[in-house]
Amino acid sequence: MSQKLILSIVTPEKQLVAEEVDQVNAPGTEGDLGILYDHAPILTNLRSGQLSYEKDGETVALVVSGGYLEVTDNRVTVLAETGEFLHEIDRERAERAHADAEKLLLTDLSEEEFIETQKKLFRAVARLENLNNN
Amino acid sequence: MPNLKEIKRRIQSVKNTQQITKAMKLVAASKLRKAQLAILEARPYAIKMMDVLNHLAARCNSDLHPLLDEREGNRHLFLLITSDKGLCGGFNGSLIRKMAKHLKDNAQNENSLIVAGKKGNDIFRNRPVTITEEIIGWTKDFDYLKAQSIGENLTTLFSEKKVDKVFMVYNEFKSVMQQEVVVEQLLPVVPENLAHKDDTFAVDYIYEPDEESILDELLKRYMTVEVYRAFLESSASEHGARMTAMDSASRNAGEMIEGLTLTYNKARQAYITKELIEIVNGAEALKG
Repeated sequence: MSQKLILSIVTPEKQLVAEEVDQVNAPGTEGDLGILYDHAPILTNLRSGQLSYEKDGETVALVVSGGYLEVTDNRVTVLAETGEFLHEIDRERAERAHADAEKLLLTDLSEEEFIETQKKLFRAVARLENLNNN
Repeated sequence: MPNLKEIKRRIQSVKNTQQITKAMKLVAASKLRKAQLAILEARPYAIKMMDVLNHLAARCNSDLHPLLDEREGNRHLFLLITSDKGLCGGFNGSLIRKMAKHLKDNAQNENSLIVAGKKGNDIFRNRPVTITEEIIGWTKDFDYLKAQSIGENLTTLFSEKKVDKVFMVYNEFKSVMQQEVVVEQLLPVVPENLAHKDDTFAVDYIYEPDEESILDELLKRYMTVEVYRAFLESSASEHGARMTAMDSASRNAGEMIEGLTLTYNKARQAYITKELIEIVNGAEALKG
């Protein structure tokens, strides 16, 4: 019985994952979603957060930020802006980014800069949160 | 008789050149490895992106988004990606030739250029064509952010209706030995299977939040990714071309040195023979 999803996670820098998995949990902008075999076709934006997938009873977690998730015909395609495996995250760097972004947000920023910085902050928060939870 | 000293000097000079070309070849090879890795890892993203976009656009209305807007008009903008440095064989030459031919063949259009790279700018500055922007020194540190700003720039020009079509002209990386000049339409975006809309799919497709906003974001990102990919392709091609060019230059220098050494030895022998004859002649004269 091979009811597996074909998962591929790619970022502009490289292809992170190309595997057959049992389940994918992703952070959509409208809420987290879990995807199992025979999921209806869907296309959604992703926010910064934890994306995990289960394969043969093992769970692998990544922190992704921004991008899309598409499911068609049991193929799950994740186009993320950035993506890191949990064990690859550099805590110090994330903490520094977090502090920097917080400080910046208090200063005078144009709207675009504000959005950019806010994104950075969310990214840093997502990284740190997941580090602390695991 | 050729001057011995002169030949020796030339051999030395060719040897020096050969040393330089050899060094450049090695440098290009190591840069190529990095550039090649970058492009090979960036490609899957670009391809998947195109897939998602195609799926989505096939189910959406094409006049849903300004970047898909196919309009009449002949103001064409070309983004020409050349290198900053020379000594890379036919890399820039074939690119510029293709561009010039294209401009000539489509002279009835209102063509303008955005030229990246010093080499392309040097050439087209003196030609009767409008250059809207010069991007010089990109080869040093190109990253995703730069691609983004170039992409946004192009998007703005297009959506403000200052141009009707945007193309990219660059060298696509086929292999180390092979690059191919491609002219690619960037805007308006033409999704591949727009022609045969797949209506059966549309029924139960879920969009979060909704298809318009996804399409909007997707198209913006697609622009960045395409520009990013084109620049990476070009960079890998440049290093490949330089490596091949420098390799053959080193080989040619080697052949030249061989030839010159042969002439040198011949000349030296002739010189010794001549001297011997003189000595013998002198001795004969003394005897007599």
